[in-house]
Amino acid sequence: MTIALRTQDAAFRQLLEDRYAGFVKTSPNPQFEFDISLFEPSDSPDPSQAKHADDDVQVRLQGGQWLLQRGDFCARWDSAAGRGHIRQSRNPYAIDSALRIVHTLILARQGGFLVHAASAIRGGRAFLFAGVSGAGKTTISRLAPSDATLLTDEISYVRRTGNGYEAWGTPFAGELARVGENQAAPVSALFLLEKGGENRIEPVGESEAIRLLLRNILFFAEDPELVNLVFRSACEFVERVPVRRLIFVPDERVWEMIR
Amino acid sequence: MMIMSAVDSTFFTLNEVATVIWQAADGCTPLSDIVARRICPEFEVDPAEAGRDAEQFVNDLSRHGILLVSEQPIPSPPPPEAR
Repeated sequence: MTIALRTQDAAFRQLLEDRYAGFVKTSPNPQFEFDISLFEPSDSPDPSQAKHADDDVQVRLQGGQWLLQRGDFCARWDSAAGRGHIRQSRNPYAIDSALRIVHTLILARQGGFLVHAASAIRGGRAFLFAGVSGAGKTTISRLAPSDATLLTDEISYVRRTGNGYEAWGTPFAGELARVGENQAAPVSALFLLEKGGENRIEPVGESEAIRLLLRNILFFAEDPELVNLVFRSACEFVERVPVRRLIFVPDERVWEMIR
Repeated sequence: MMIMSAVDSTFFTLNEVATVIWQAADGCTPLSDIVARRICPEFEVDPAEAGRDAEQFVNDLSRHGILLVSEQPIPSPPPPEAR
């Protein structure tokens, strides 16, 4: 999925090219386009919608356009026209957040989602690793062997493909501070991480798998229809992809079980 | 529950215990009280271990600017129109 970002600020453009290196390409026909304007720290992203920096992110439909707001950015996006505008600080995390939210909205209608999970490709298949903070997403990413391709240690991108799912790399890095590879592979399993005294894999019941998957799916919009679609997507994912609990000792031997 | 840092967009997916701490963090109630009154009775955990885990959790969130750790009660923020 190609998204065009336009800015008149050369320094910010360079920042984006550096930040998203590996995911930047020239495309004459982007699917979505955003113009970006920058404001100084003393300004508000949208004077008519003044927000405090600590306020929660808000995502809602307003006048047929999506309105995305946080203290450091305000974006409007016409999803039907494929065009939008982002007004933000120079903080690169603002554009990260705006793009993540846009992708959650796009994927919701396509049966996919963003999930707070690490992911990697090994042997041509993708594996997702989800869990509460501290469960080991960063650890298992750091321990990945040389024949594994890390897609992300923070936010996994899951798309529906016919009867299955694909995981794609994302430029959204977590504590490992390593951008994922711009590659994709069919999802072979979702592992729910838990550190323990030995390495083992346990089955997870379907309802528990759905509940735990939903806990990790990113979705911000106050929109009952899309929330319902995301719920259905989680249920369908669990029907088609094995979900297992991976209890592991934090050393490289854990990857002997991931093939 | 999932929370996102407005500072660096880091995500935290919270387990049940962490969710209780997050929701009880009102700027006035000491962490030790939250552990003693909310965590220990509800989750039947060892108080000393729960206290250590709770401290680690709030310190993690503090490092990302999500929680403020203070020795004193934190005054409530002014209403939006006064900001």
